Amino acid sequence: MLAAPRRGTRAAGARVLVALAQFAAVSVIVFAMTSLLPGDAAEIVLGRDATPEQVATLRTQLGLDRPLPERFADWVGGLLHGDLGRSLVTGQPVAAEVGGRLGQTALLTGLALIMLVPLALGAGVLAGRRPGSPVDRALTGVLVAAQAVPEFALGLVLVAVFSLQLGWLPATAAGGAFTGAEVLVLPVVVLVTNHLGRLARQIRVGVLDTDRAEHVVHLRRLGLPERVVLWRHVLPGAALPSIQQLARIVDSMLGGVVVVEALFALPGVGSGFVDAVSARDLPVVQGYALLYAATTIGVNLVADLVSARLLPHREVLG
Amino acid sequence: MSSPVLRVRGLGARVPSAVLLDGVDLDLEPGRVLAVVGDSGAGKSTLAAALLGEAAAGVELCGEVTVAGTDLGPTDPEPVRRARRAGRIGLLPQHPGTALDPVRRVGRVLDELAALVHTGRDERRAAVDSALRTAGLGPEHARRFPHQLSGGQQQRAALALTLVTGPSVLVLDEPTTGLDPLTTAGVVANLAGLAAHGTAMVLLTHDLDTARALADDALVLERGRVVRRGPADDVLGPAPGPAPDPAPGDDRTPRLVATGLRVVTSAGTAILDGVDVRAAAGDVHAVIGPSGAGKTTLARALAGLVTPGAGTVVVDGVGLPPALDRRSAARRKAVQYVHQDARSSFLARRPVLEQVARPGVLLRGLPPGRARGEGSELLERLGVDAGTAARRPSGLSGGQLQRAALARAMLADPAVLVGDEVTSALDAGHRRELLAALDALRRDRGTTLVLISHDLSLVGSVADEVTVLGGGRVADHGRAGQVLGRLRAATAGPPVAATGRAPSA
Repeated sequence: MLAAPRRGTRAAGARVLVALAQFAAVSVIVFAMTSLLPGDAAEIVLGRDATPEQVATLRTQLGLDRPLPERFADWVGGLLHGDLGRSLVTGQPVAAEVGGRLGQTALLTGLALIMLVPLALGAGVLAGRRPGSPVDRALTGVLVAAQAVPEFALGLVLVAVFSLQLGWLPATAAGGAFTGAEVLVLPVVVLVTNHLGRLARQIRVGVLDTDRAEHVVHLRRLGLPERVVLWRHVLPGAALPSIQQLARIVDSMLGGVVVVEALFALPGVGSGFVDAVSARDLPVVQGYALLYAATTIGVNLVADLVSARLLPHREVLG
Repeated sequence: MSSPVLRVRGLGARVPSAVLLDGVDLDLEPGRVLAVVGDSGAGKSTLAAALLGEAAAGVELCGEVTVAGTDLGPTDPEPVRRARRAGRIGLLPQHPGTALDPVRRVGRVLDELAALVHTGRDERRAAVDSALRTAGLGPEHARRFPHQLSGGQQQRAALALTLVTGPSVLVLDEPTTGLDPLTTAGVVANLAGLAAHGTAMVLLTHDLDTARALADDALVLERGRVVRRGPADDVLGPAPGPAPDPAPGDDRTPRLVATGLRVVTSAGTAILDGVDVRAAAGDVHAVIGPSGAGKTTLARALAGLVTPGAGTVVVDGVGLPPALDRRSAARRKAVQYVHQDARSSFLARRPVLEQVARPGVLLRGLPPGRARGEGSELLERLGVDAGTAARRPSGLSGGQLQRAALARAMLADPAVLVGDEVTSALDAGHRRELLAALDALRRDRGTTLVLISHDLSLVGSVADEVTVLGGGRVADHGRAGQVLGRLRAATAGPPVAATGRAPSA
């Protein structure tokens, strides 16, 4: 009971080991994609019209002509060095191709979070402190409506208004990387609108409960000013439980926001994955699969560790 | 003659249909302690809240409360009143555990409160250290989160929160509820020390021993009205003599045999180490000991709510699987546990009667109608009427829920009933009803009672045997009269404030 710090550190260590084990398991499955597929990966990649010579060349290129244990050892070795092979389409290293797109997606995710978190906190606090008030009802109504609008529909409307009619912002990033900041404005707005409702409403419920909790009532009773009560007691108690929800949002954004990227022609992870699948670029698909595993496992690991540190009584790590 | 630091005139609270508090006048000089006594529902908690200008929704306050010349007036807007309360009047709430922020370290919150009256960093730290010391905690407790403190330590941490602003007037709402005798003595000594330093106190309690120990004056509330007031000795009367020893049960076959129970935290600290408990049918076996000694853990291990690392629990010759989810309905019925915090053991959204009747349906296979009938009969006997039992838990007082929790356990008709502080929230009248119901249960059904208690006078009057726990081991064990005699001899001398802390791991 009183040995919590030691126990906390041990539990955190155990949680990190679980994450590593999860990633190891996923990488074995991803390796199996080339090696254990029914038939021959080279034939699947090339399709039915391929000549036997083409198939033989690709088999050599993929290393399928070598024995399984040797290939697995190679795969693990490559993985540890960040070498995931080369793209069948461009011939570029997979790590560079996937990594480059991850940078763009991470930028988009970061910008969206910088807007999303303060907005959700603000809306959640405004609504949760006065439940049932006109402000609460108006905010809840708007947030639910915003969440209900599909990303593509909102995106199209925004493009029609701000790009085509007013001409303020570019419609797409077609033809280049994320060059100017203005290219990112509309995608970020779409992402934030989509996730704001869920997060803000969860924070609203947290604020509602915490604001009336006995310990908060008691601190007001003892004379603590409302500013301190709000920032140091209501907000931590209300917002920290939303860390897991935030983790799910970050994970979904880092995993590639396929619709938004396609809509604005952004060269991010989502569109990269779609391209790789349609080109049957097996090594690149493997790279994306590993990336998704890494981001999901990593984001959830961070969320669990942060929750365990900041919400010690919840025993997140068991 | 000093002038009163607390001056109350015509303090009243009313809802449209009733008067909850009727024109209370008080004058309290620095360092004086006023005990306010009365049954549940007499208006003690309403008075405590009204002194700080608080009222439940729909309750209208009137009257005037002045602390050290500053009017805390209930007519002004809340931010103004809040600033006036800071450092002038403090309240120690009835359930101190809930007054602590679960996600903040105790010391941080103390520092925020200290900032209300001290600006300098060093002054704040001095105020925090002094408040912790006065409350009976060490500086190391400042780094803890509330859940890392035992029940008694949470009580003291809440007291420290109240003390850190150095209020001139302290309102104490049942400050000794659920504390073991050693901790109670420590708290009483701390409070007496505060009074000696000039803090005026209003002590609302049904614990007459504490009231006698602390109070200079006393007043009796009845239905919101002051019916008696005067010097504490006159109003409260002398302490009662020891209760007579009850006759032991005739049937001596062991009903509950627990052997070598050991419970270890995941960090490797033993909370319970090699504890044996034996009790015959119809016996009352009391478990006492300081906070953090493992009493609740023992109770929970008997009930299967914590799985012991070693040891066995045998009821009526049948071994129970250590984990509750491995126990069949019949085995679950055999041992019933009444939770220390009755409120948290009820679902918030279902009527209390329905929840009380549930074990009858689940564990005894009664038709729901009959289970409800038995439940409401039992509740009636314990002093909870049918109208009250039909409400959700939020509509019941702590004492009423405590009785409902006991009724719920009794409805399973267990062979062994484990009660964790089942009388802590009850006033004298309801305590008698509850003890009578327990006595009937053991006489008529041969139920073995295991009572975890801090209340030595209760233990002395009902227990056949007593086990004293200390640091997770059995420190003493035997017939109640002998064990309590040894305990009294041992605790007569040494100071009490420092004991009763859970051992650091």
